[in-house]
Amino acid sequence: MIKEFAKHLFPRVVLRENLRFTYTFCLGGLAFTALMVLAVSGVLLLFYYQPTPAGAFDSILFLESTVIGGKYLRGLHRLASHGLLVLLFLHILRVVLSGAFRPPRELTWVVGVGLLGLTVFEAYTGYLLPMDQLAFWATRTGMELLATLPGGPWLKAVLVPDGVGEPLSLLRFYALHVVVVPVAVLALSFLHFYRVRKTKGILPYL
Amino acid sequence: MAERIEVKNDMRRGPRGSGEYVRSSPCFFRLVKRAFWGGMVALALLAVVIPAPLLDPANPGAPPNPAKSAWFLLWTQEVVSHGNGFAWIIVGLSLWFMALPWLGKHRPERAVWFGEGNRAVAWTTIAVFAAIVSMTVLAMFFRGENWSLVSPF
Repeated sequence: MIKEFAKHLFPRVVLRENLRFTYTFCLGGLAFTALMVLAVSGVLLLFYYQPTPAGAFDSILFLESTVIGGKYLRGLHRLASHGLLVLLFLHILRVVLSGAFRPPRELTWVVGVGLLGLTVFEAYTGYLLPMDQLAFWATRTGMELLATLPGGPWLKAVLVPDGVGEPLSLLRFYALHVVVVPVAVLALSFLHFYRVRKTKGILPYL
Repeated sequence: MAERIEVKNDMRRGPRGSGEYVRSSPCFFRLVKRAFWGGMVALALLAVVIPAPLLDPANPGAPPNPAKSAWFLLWTQEVVSHGNGFAWIIVGLSLWFMALPWLGKHRPERAVWFGEGNRAVAWTTIAVFAAIVSMTVLAMFFRGENWSLVSPF
């Protein structure tokens, strides 16, 4: 059933000349692969993580020192997150340089840019969760950056009502990171794929 | 040979009238699967040699100097370090990128790398990406105490 569904995401036929790896570098597909790695490793991390200021850091320590493969799992999650961001930036660069954003692909483009913004936000909300010095100060600096943008102070008050790393703020970052933003990213991803399919897959456009 | 489709109908030819169509299954799917497994293996192996760092527990009373944001936001920190007003450049650029499909009258027959009519957008984008990467490297390695320029060597 999954195979049949996947088949519908792709065009029935493709030009043989477009099957070169260098045609698109598979950047969009590789980004989605990274997203799947993030989802699986993230779900496994949920079994150990405690979203409280007192328990967060200790739960990471426990994961890394006691759980078999725990340190590797956390490293994989972090690396996949970085990989996803880099791949998305390169994918967008490829789309712009090849002109594949032009009509009739306006909606595909807008959804794609939205996905990039959401992914950056997803990575940002995950940065605080280990609650170490790097996490805390990077997140606090990010909040100060946000406050310089129009509407930023209001958004900052919503995200960190009691200050970075305090109970309510950490819980909000946690909820955003594991539920709200991932669901939005997945929904937009499938809309993106649907639009790509609707506009004849990767044909005749790159 | 079963994977091959002889194209006799001009409607199924490429935009330039050239090329031969093959079935997505298995030809295209093979490429997708290879990219998928290649990406998975690359991430799995890299995670072995690049562990996630874990510093001391968060301490609001011990701020580092300088406090740097996450690496993917460092370029924005570099921009606003020259003045909060520069944040508007980021807002403007974001809106410009979002509106790209509606800017200009160029309607290409097919996507082409650095195609005619898309060169201004392409080079502007390269310039913006180069600036983002440069500022990220600058903020990551060349900013020291109080955000002053330092040598990493």
